[in-house]
Parts: sequence; structure tokens; C-alpha cells
Amino acid sequence: MSKHKTEPSSELYRLQQNMMAWLVNKDSDAVKPDVVDTGEVSKVSIDQRLAVYGNAYGYRLIDALSENYPAVHTLLGDDDFYKMTYAYMDAYPSQHFSLRYFGHQLEHFLKKYHYNIPVLSEMAQFEWALRKGFDAEDEEALTLVALQEIAIEQWGELKFIFHPSVSRLDLEWNTPQLWTAIDEETEPMPPEKLEYPYAWLLWRKELLTYYRSLDVDEAWALDTAFQGGNFSELCEGVCEWIDAEHAPSRVAGFLSQWLQDDLLVGLG
Amino acid sequence: MDKTEKIASLGFGLGLRKEHYNAILEAKPEVDWFEILTENYLVPGGKPLYFLDQICERYPVVMHGVSMSLGSYDPLDMDYLKQVKELAKRTNAKWISDHMCFTGVDGINAHDLLPLPYTDEAIKHVSQKIAQAQDYLGMQILVENASTYITYKQSAMTEWGFTKAVAEESDSLVLLDINNIFVSAYNHGFDPLVYLDGIPSERVQQHHLAGHSQYDGYIIDTHDHDIVQGVWDLYVEAIKRYGQVSVMIERDDNIPELPELMTELQMARDVFAATTQQVAKAQHV
Repeated sequence: MSKHKTEPSSELYRLQQNMMAWLVNKDSDAVKPDVVDTGEVSKVSIDQRLAVYGNAYGYRLIDALSENYPAVHTLLGDDDFYKMTYAYMDAYPSQHFSLRYFGHQLEHFLKKYHYNIPVLSEMAQFEWALRKGFDAEDEEALTLVALQEIAIEQWGELKFIFHPSVSRLDLEWNTPQLWTAIDEETEPMPPEKLEYPYAWLLWRKELLTYYRSLDVDEAWALDTAFQGGNFSELCEGVCEWIDAEHAPSRVAGFLSQWLQDDLLVGLG
Repeated sequence: MDKTEKIASLGFGLGLRKEHYNAILEAKPEVDWFEILTENYLVPGGKPLYFLDQICERYPVVMHGVSMSLGSYDPLDMDYLKQVKELAKRTNAKWISDHMCFTGVDGINAHDLLPLPYTDEAIKHVSQKIAQAQDYLGMQILVENASTYITYKQSAMTEWGFTKAVAEESDSLVLLDINNIFVSAYNHGFDPLVYLDGIPSERVQQHHLAGHSQYDGYIIDTHDHDIVQGVWDLYVEAIKRYGQVSVMIERDDNIPELPELMTELQMARDVFAATTQQVAKAQHV
């Protein structure tokens, strides 16, 4: 937060700026002269009183970040997670009314702040996608019956609308396995960089969040469908991996799985 | 805003916490009403709203928020208020409350209930923002006294004098947190009974009861312990002054199983019954 450039005309505004300078910049010089010193009647000093607010500011944001990024917290350990959070709140002080969104820049921040531990930013990316899956908008899933009602001659032009909880990630580390081990508190496993990135899908079905790895052709089909590719384009595209004769049944197989997973909410 | 009358007491309630969703739906405990934390449900969908909808079908609900920042020099966040209004419609909330504080300024949110100076300027400023919020929401809101740890030199009146003035100027109602009065009285060395005397009964629509943490020379309003005897004693004094007011137990951390909170809620019922009986007896003498 920047200090006020000109002397504000409102005393209320000035006090609020000074209090925020204490919380955000840890600079109590401005607010201290405005606080009543009860030192003579109470043994609690101004510094102690201000510390109640100063500490609460830090703890509250640490808790918020930890709630959304439990595996990042575990990987870093308490001390480094606290240090990292203080650095993050300096770089990205909360501007949203809800603490739910305080961590929205963590993946990018960790790429710079902990560039020497690249699995951390990938874990943040994975956990943010899980969080999105948890409370994304509710939408009625498309049924097999609705799909079967489409006339066969219209299938070529068919486009697909996905549930708001769906995320597609390409991960270079064993991040999902690591997350599972942390979540289930099983034997710790070391972070491991893969030979090539793996494709992953995250989504919510009813109230539960799921994730699974994808074959390369399904990942391509999903990415293309997200961008508005139709059934014909998906069939043509997967010919890069299988022969043209089997392409429609391969894509139909994807669709069947997507329906089973409640990934689809509409057709375009 | 349509002028509304003070709503009759809803009885004895609890703060709705996710740890208790299943227990509430399975055991259907005898809680008269639930207070929900507004921000927890300002999400697009998923589990929080799934459970909330079911609980709203079974119990009356009120909304308690921390983000209106009524004292901030920043203008009201109209996007936030829009979401609050939509949630109130979805839950059929009996009322909406927030705090006498600011939570940030210049667009930065501290996510804390920061103290205001008790000045004429602040009365005018807060009252205007409350009035604007009430106009937009179409109902009177309740404003809660926050626990405070500092006093500004600029303050020209008592906290209760300030609270009363704001309530009257903005025609809003008061959520009088008994624990917060206890905490602030200890931290600032004022008489909590004088505080109670200073708040007009016709403005008081809800009470909070809660626990706190005692440190060397000061108390922090942590909501992570049982209610202490001093707060029960102050609740007795509140009953004597305000009569039957909707009251609930606010527990935000170190959350026990539901039966434990139900036992504490029964204590509130017992304290209320004993006090009203005592008051009635005294009136007949």
C-alpha cells in the first residue's frame, strides 16, 4: 500500500490510512501518535495493543492461504510457509472482500519467489484448480438421453459446453500423486520431474472433486472442444493417433466418459 | 427503504458452521434459528450452498457479514452488496448484520474489524453508508459492536454514545455482542453496565454470546472457548434491560461437537428463564 501523497482533509481517512500502513507496511510511526497511551492505568502498552491488530492481519491471511493450499503448506513446512505468505501479502495485498480469493496469484508468485523449487508453483496451480472445482457454479449435467436425441446427420456440427468446475492442466511433476500422499497422510514421496508433461483433468461431480490423467488424444480432444471444436473436428484431429476408421468410435468413447463424469452441461 | 419494525425474537440460535452440517441435517437439533457467515456462501455453487439450502428449508436464518466496511472512507462495494442481496433472497434471511468498523481503505482489505474514532465526522460518515446500504438492501440492517484494543485520541465520546448516535442517525438496529462489551470493557477499563444503559432498548434486535482468550492485561475476542461466567453475568444484565432479544452463540475456532454447543445454548435458555422469572418476581413485590 502506498503512503498518502497529500495530507487528507478528512481525519477519519487519515487515521484509516495510518492504521493500514501499520498492518500492511508494518510502519507504526504514523498511527502511534493517534493512540491513547493507557500505560499508567494499564500495563498494556500502545505497541502491545497495536500488535493485536498487526498479528491478526498476518495470521488471518496465513490461515486463508493454508486453507486453499494445504499441500503447498506441507511441502514448505510451517516456517517457510509463514515467511512466504508474508512476502506474498506484501506483493499482493488482499483487494477482494472474500478471503477465498486472496491466493489467486500464488502460482505466479511462487514461480518467482521459490523458483528453485518449481514443484511448488505447480502444486499451487493444481490446488487452485481443485478449489475452483469445489465451489464452481452448479449446472445440470447433460444426460445420455439428451445426446441420443440428436439426429445422426447433425452430429458433425455438434459442439460441447463444459461444467464450470472443469480445469485442464499439463503438469511436469508428479504433483497429483504428491498431493494425494499429503492429503491421505501416507508415506511422504519425493517430488519427481517427469520425462514429459502429463495431461490432467479436474472437475466436480455432484459434491466431490475429482482428477484423472488423460491420454494424449483425449487431452487434445478436450482442449479442442473447450475452444469450440465440433464433433467432426475432433474426429479428424484424433486421426493423428489412430486410423480414420476408428476415429468416430474413439471420440464417442470420450463423450461417453465425459457424460459419465458429468463434465458436459450442454450442446452447441 | 421500506420502514420496518423491530422483528420479534427468534429465540435461541447458533452460528452455522460447516463442521455441523451433517449433524444438523441428521439430528435436527432444537435450535430456534441459525446465523450464517455471509461471505462463506458468496460462492458460485458447490457444497456450501448445497447444505445451506437444506438448512434454510428447516430453520429460520439470519446473515452476518464482515465485509460491508461501513466505517471505511472507501465507498460501499456495490458488487458485494448485490451478492448479499441475492443471498438474502435465496435464504429468506430474517435480517442482515455487519460491524461497526472499517476493514480496509484505498482498496486494500485487512479482513479485520478495525476500530473507528468516535467523532462527529465518523457518525456522519458511517450513518450515510448504513443508510445507503439499507436503501439498496430494502431493509434495516443490524450493526454490531466490535471488540477493540485501542482508543484513538480523536475520540470525543464513548463507544456506546457513538453506537447510539449512529443507530439513530441511520435508523438502523443494533446487534449487541455481550462478549465484545465484556472484552472492550476489560481492555479499556470502562463499566460494561454503563455501556448497556447507553444503548436504547428499541434498537437492540440481536445478541451474540461467545468465548474469548485472556492474556496478561488484555483479552482477545477469539471465539474459541466456552462462554465465561462474566459474560453470562453481563447477559443477565442485558436481559434485565432489553427483555427477550434473539440470542445466539458464536463459535469460530476450536469448534466442539454439536451436542456440546447445544448444552451451552441450553444454558442461555436457562439464564434467560431464571432472569425473567427473577424480574417478574421483583415486579410483584
